[in-house]
Amino acid sequence: MEDKNNIALSVRDLKTFFYTNNRCNKAVNGVSFDVEKGKTLCIVGESGCGKSVTAATIMQLLPTLSRIEEGEIKFRKDDKIINIEKLEKNGKEMREIRGSDIAMIFQDPMTALNPVYTVGFQISENLKYHTNLNKKEIREKCISLLNDMGIPLPEKRVDEYPHSYSGGMRQRAMIAMAMACNPKILIADEPTTALDVTIQAQIFELMDKLKKENDTAIILITHDMGVVAELADNVAVMYMGNIVEAGTADDVLRRPTHPYTKALLESVPVLGRGKNQDINPIKGSTPDPYNRPKGCQFAPRCNWQTESCDVMPEITQINETHQVRCHKYEQFFEKYK
Amino acid sequence: MLLVISFLVYSGLELSPGDAVSHMISPELASTITAEQLDAMREAYGLNQSFLTRYWIWLTSMVQGDMGYSMAGGVAISEIMVKTVPATLELSMVALFFSTILGCSLGVISALKRGSGTDNSLTVAGMAGVSIPEFFFGLVAILLFAIELKWLPVGGRLLPHYETLWDRIPNIVLPSLVLALMMTAGAMRYARSSMLDVLAREFITTARSKGMPEWRVNILHGFRVALTPVVVLIGFRLPLLIGGSTIIEQVYQWPGIGSMFIRSVRASDYPLVMTISLMYVFVVLTASLIIDVLTALIDPRVRLGKE
Repeated sequence: MEDKNNIALSVRDLKTFFYTNNRCNKAVNGVSFDVEKGKTLCIVGESGCGKSVTAATIMQLLPTLSRIEEGEIKFRKDDKIINIEKLEKNGKEMREIRGSDIAMIFQDPMTALNPVYTVGFQISENLKYHTNLNKKEIREKCISLLNDMGIPLPEKRVDEYPHSYSGGMRQRAMIAMAMACNPKILIADEPTTALDVTIQAQIFELMDKLKKENDTAIILITHDMGVVAELADNVAVMYMGNIVEAGTADDVLRRPTHPYTKALLESVPVLGRGKNQDINPIKGSTPDPYNRPKGCQFAPRCNWQTESCDVMPEITQINETHQVRCHKYEQFFEKYK
Repeated sequence: MLLVISFLVYSGLELSPGDAVSHMISPELASTITAEQLDAMREAYGLNQSFLTRYWIWLTSMVQGDMGYSMAGGVAISEIMVKTVPATLELSMVALFFSTILGCSLGVISALKRGSGTDNSLTVAGMAGVSIPEFFFGLVAILLFAIELKWLPVGGRLLPHYETLWDRIPNIVLPSLVLALMMTAGAMRYARSSMLDVLAREFITTARSKGMPEWRVNILHGFRVALTPVVVLIGFRLPLLIGGSTIIEQVYQWPGIGSMFIRSVRASDYPLVMTISLMYVFVVLTASLIIDVLTALIDPRVRLGKE
C-alpha cells in the first residue's frame, strides 16, 4: 500500500456479531480495508451481506443486541491514531468523533430527519456540539451550507420543516448536516436508493465535489454497479460478511476475478446493448446466516464449485492493489493477461 | 352537538320513573297526601305541561343565560354552580397535572430501560392501575393514609378556620392522587409504547450520529416526537377524569359538581341535571379544541400553512 499518511481509516479483521434468541449472526465476519484521504471506497454486495453493519460499526451506532467481537478500526485524527473499537459506545470520545470527524448519511432521507424540528435546527445541532461558533455564526453557517448544497432561497428554507422539503432536498440537507464540521470521513449508506435517478446524479456530483474540495474520504455503500463505475476509486465486494474481492475500480470492474463479482456484473443490464443482451441472474439465494455453508460462502451458488471450496479460501494478493478470496482465482485472472 | 345531547338527556329524564314532586314528599306524608294535592304541586312547578313544551321553555331560558332554579332546594342553579365548579376544577386540574407529569416521565423511563426490572414492575403497576376501579383505590388510600397512618385528612375540602392555601393542600392530596392514578397508568403505558416506537425510527440514529449526548437524543429527539400521541390520549381521557371525579368526590366528600350531580339525579332535579350534563358536554368539546391547538404546537406537520 501507499504511504501510511494517506490512510484516513484502516479496518483490520473486523467482526461484528448479532445475538438474537440465543443465536449468533456473524454479520461482519473478518473484514479488512483501508480508506484513503480524498478517495471513494465503494462497498458493494447484495442485501444482508453486512455492508450497512460495517458502516454502523465504524460509527459505533450498532443496535443493542450486537457488538464488535474482534478486530480493530484505526482512525487517523491529525497525527494521532485512535482505535475506535476501544472507545465506549456513547462515551465522550466517541461522540466527539461522531458528526465531526466521521459523519454519516442514511439511506432514506424521508425518515432520517426529525419531523418536528426545522432543517436549520437539525444542522445547527452538529455545529453546536463540535464548534465554538455563537448562535448568529451557526445560523450563517447553516445558510451557507444549504446554499452550497444547491438549495434555493436558503435564508427562507433554513427555517422550514423537513415535510416541506422534497426527497432530493432532504438528502441535500442530510449532506449539509454531515458536512457541517468538515469531516475527514463521510460514510454514505445507500444515499440514493430512495431517490429518483436524476436526483441521484445531482447528489453524487455534490459528494464528488465535496471530496475534491475538502479532501474527505468517502465510504459509499451501494448495490448499484452503475454508481460504482461512476464514483469509486476503490471497490470492496462483500458477500455474507466477508470481503470476497477488493481493489481499484479498474481492477474489480474490468478484471473481476471472484465468481461472485463476475456474477454481479453479469446480472446488470447495460444501456445501449439492446433487448437481446444476456442477463444472468445469480442462481439461488443468499444462505441463511444461521445455517452457513462451510468453507467458501459463495460455493453453493458458484458455477465453478469443487471439493476444495469446502475450506474457506484465504485472501490472496493478485498484485499490488487487487486482492481476492477464491481458490481458483488464477484460472479466472489468466484471461486478463 | 350541545343541542342533540341536551335533548337526549332530557328524554332520558322523562323516561325515568317518578318526578321531582314524588321525591319531595317524605314516605310518611305519601300515604296521607291526595292526588289533587300532588297535581297542584306539579302545576306549581310546571310539570303538568307536555314534554316538548317543557324542553322548549328550558332551552330558551338556557340560551338567554338563565339556568333556572333547583327543584330540590329552590336555590338558583347559577349559585350552586359557582360553589361547586371551582372545587371540581381544582380537583381535576391537580389530578391532570400529576398524571401528565408522572405518566410521561415514568413511561419514558420505562421505554429507555426496556426489559429491565424497572420496566417490568412499572408495566405490572400500570396494568393494575388501569384495571382496578378508582373507588377501590380511594377507599384503600383512606384506610392506609388517613386512618392507619393519620397523615392526611379523610375527606372534605374546606374546614372552618382553615383558610390559607397551606391548610387546604392536605385535603386535596389524597383525592387528586387517587384520581390521577388511573390516568397516570394509561398515560404511562401509552408514553412507553409511543417512545419505543420513536426510538426505533431512523432519525434517532441520525441524531446519535451527530455525536450528541444520549439525554439530548432521547429527550429532544425522542420524547418530543413521542409526545404528540400522548397529548391526544390525555385529551381524550379528560372527560374520563371528570367522570371519575364524580366517584372520587363521593368517596372523599368533596363538595364538587360530581357529588352534586349524583344528588340531583337521585332527586330527579331535572334543571340541575340538565345544566351539569351540558357542562360536561361543554368540557369535552373544549378539551378536544385545546388538544387540537396543542398538537399543532407540538407537531409542525399539523400546522396550517401560513400563506
